Amino acid sequence: MDNLLAARTLMGVSLAFHIIYATIGIGLPLMLMIAEGIALRTGNDLYHQLARRWVRPAGLLFAIGAVSGTILSFELGFLWPRFMAFSGALIGLAFTIEGFAFFTEAIFLALYIYGEKRLSRRALFLCTIPITIAAAASAAFVISANGWMNTPSGFALINGVPADLHPLRALANPAWAHEAVHGTFAAYVATGFAVAGVYAWSLLRRDDIPYQKQALTLALAVGSFFLPLMFLTGDWAASFVARHQKPKLAAMEAHFTTMAGAPLVIGGWPDPASGQVRYAVKIPKLLSVLAHRDPNSVVEGLDAFPADTAPDPRLVHPFFDLMVGSFFIMAAVSCWFWWHRWLDRDVPGERRLVRAILIASPFGMIALESGWFVTEFGRQPWIVQRHMTVAQGVTSHPDIDLVLAAFVTVYVLMTIGLLKLLLRPASAPGTEPPKESFHVDP
Amino acid sequence: MLTLENLAALALHLGLVMYALFGGADFGGGIWTALASGPRAKEQRDGLFLAIGPVWETNHVWLIFMVVTLFTAFPKGFSVLFTALLVPFVIALIGINFRGAAFAFRHFGREIGEDVPLVARTFEIASIVTPFTMGMAVTAIASGRIVLIGNQVQLTMWGWVSPFTLVGGVVGSAICAYLAPIYMTVRTEGALQEDFRRRGMATALALGIATTLEVPVAMADAPLFTARLLRSWPLLFVSLAVVSGLTTQLLLWRRRFPAAQIMAGGTVLLTITGFSAALYPDLIIGQLTIAAAAAPLPALRAFLAVLPIGALILVPSLVYLYRTFSGNPDFQLPHHVHKDKDA
Repeated sequence: MDNLLAARTLMGVSLAFHIIYATIGIGLPLMLMIAEGIALRTGNDLYHQLARRWVRPAGLLFAIGAVSGTILSFELGFLWPRFMAFSGALIGLAFTIEGFAFFTEAIFLALYIYGEKRLSRRALFLCTIPITIAAAASAAFVISANGWMNTPSGFALINGVPADLHPLRALANPAWAHEAVHGTFAAYVATGFAVAGVYAWSLLRRDDIPYQKQALTLALAVGSFFLPLMFLTGDWAASFVARHQKPKLAAMEAHFTTMAGAPLVIGGWPDPASGQVRYAVKIPKLLSVLAHRDPNSVVEGLDAFPADTAPDPRLVHPFFDLMVGSFFIMAAVSCWFWWHRWLDRDVPGERRLVRAILIASPFGMIALESGWFVTEFGRQPWIVQRHMTVAQGVTSHPDIDLVLAAFVTVYVLMTIGLLKLLLRPASAPGTEPPKESFHVDP
Repeated sequence: MLTLENLAALALHLGLVMYALFGGADFGGGIWTALASGPRAKEQRDGLFLAIGPVWETNHVWLIFMVVTLFTAFPKGFSVLFTALLVPFVIALIGINFRGAAFAFRHFGREIGEDVPLVARTFEIASIVTPFTMGMAVTAIASGRIVLIGNQVQLTMWGWVSPFTLVGGVVGSAICAYLAPIYMTVRTEGALQEDFRRRGMATALALGIATTLEVPVAMADAPLFTARLLRSWPLLFVSLAVVSGLTTQLLLWRRRFPAAQIMAGGTVLLTITGFSAALYPDLIIGQLTIAAAAAPLPALRAFLAVLPIGALILVPSLVYLYRTFSGNPDFQLPHHVHKDKDA
């Protein structure tokens, strides 16, 4: 395999794998904090037991997240040493702060997970606060590095070398704010819906019991609360991309030809050879409205950029639509659930709705992964926008295909092990092992 | 010389020391799980397993701290090292991943009353392979076999394997296997404590032999490192390490466990400091100096400004963590209550 392709594949596989665990590591602490907070405030011990139930799968998932994150930090050096020699001094500050945040998260998570017999209930609740804050902070700072790759700032290029460095300006690069906020909200949505899916599944398999209903409601409450916020910050992100990363926007929207009053292209398959999008629905002028808040504004198409400096819309547009489509699936199910809940004043036992929740549950994660595909494929061919291409950043080491094979094996084995543990009939996450029972009304 | 790049190099050195003291003991716990023997083999395994539980994730963040420090403060050094040492780092990483996953799987399995022997073996093998490979990778930096021509690394697939680095791997493993049982002596009592005491003293001997052996091997295989080691500062640290190691043995013999624990940590600190001092002023011996590898000043300033702020949060949190889980390794028991015989 071509070295560059092997390196890109390995980085992509590693991140796609890590993102799942990192996302749960951001979202679950928030839900632990809410559950422990409710338990402490209302004295309803059910919520404490609910949170402690999550600890077991959480410990497993966080562990995988930590070790797969270690792989990523090494891969920056294995795969992209020239990129890191160029930008390490600039994105390093964000990673340093992220490192401390991750440290804090690991410490208080250990205290929370292992400390039940050694800490008071109040101390356990207090531990969930630094976990939640540190998890969100580490997400925000890691995303700063990605934002810098999209909108590099804080340096001047002199003889091909970054000079006149301003690390704080590199940290607070223009793309940081919207990427960090949108990404973190998306992690809350993804976790909320994923956890809701687990309870929907167990509701479908057995009698509905109060413990599961509370868990389902809490998970969907978190997911549904952040869902509109994710949508609004997504719009913020898109209008930023429209101004600062025009080729990415054109690829996202499969917008080939520069024009005023550009239509929004939904679905379809973009064909760069003909400049047409096949089988797509077009809404007149909507792209101009979304991009520049003006139905007659000009939106640059892919034809406005030299072909070798613009991304391939076939890798960007479908994932963009998948991301937006996932939102609408979750929004529909969320509205249905809360409508019923408002009418019945109880978690509806209607099986069609519970089944719909189960079907919608992976779409938070799907939205997050495809959003990441959009931002990465949409930046191609650059690793540092307009300064360094991906091909210029790759390692000179010739054996990357072997490394790829080795790590893919690691990921496959870890996934098999994880699924074997989590999916056994008697003790799926969030359900009770047979020896203990909380099947009682509060 | 107190320059910003030297301060950053000191941070990197301290990261390595902390990784050895905490992550190393963690690996050592795995090594002694594999080597558990005698009538109390099960108790030894259980004690180590429980002791690692709450702290393993934190222990391994020190590795990430080192990687981040390297690419933030020494981007060029990072770029060279991760190209030249790709193979041992990949092996170590696979070890870290299998070990972490196996530990988490096993903990999860135990909580639901299931023990998977395959997972336990994976944990043990990874605990042995990883520190050995890491030890080789770290000593390879001092071997003189990483060669830069211009900015390009001269790549040799097995350039990191030499007598010097192989003994370095043994020293790395011995450091881990040395710390774990000594740390366990203060957390156990009775016959189990004696088991760990004997294992600590035996490994101390092995560590002493391996580090002593490294000197003649280095004379033949890594002459530049030997020459540097015989300068005054490195020699001072190495001598102090010997004194500290002997004192630890004495304390273990007299069963002064808390003092022995601190002294053992001091021995490892001094051994690694001797190594780093011999490397100075280079990041990669003879090829890349700390100054040449360093990031521009504004980046170093920003990095060094963040460290004390981070430490302000980190140090009390770490103290809280280690205090909460001190004493009996069984975290299911309340603090400082030892398991009763009749329980």
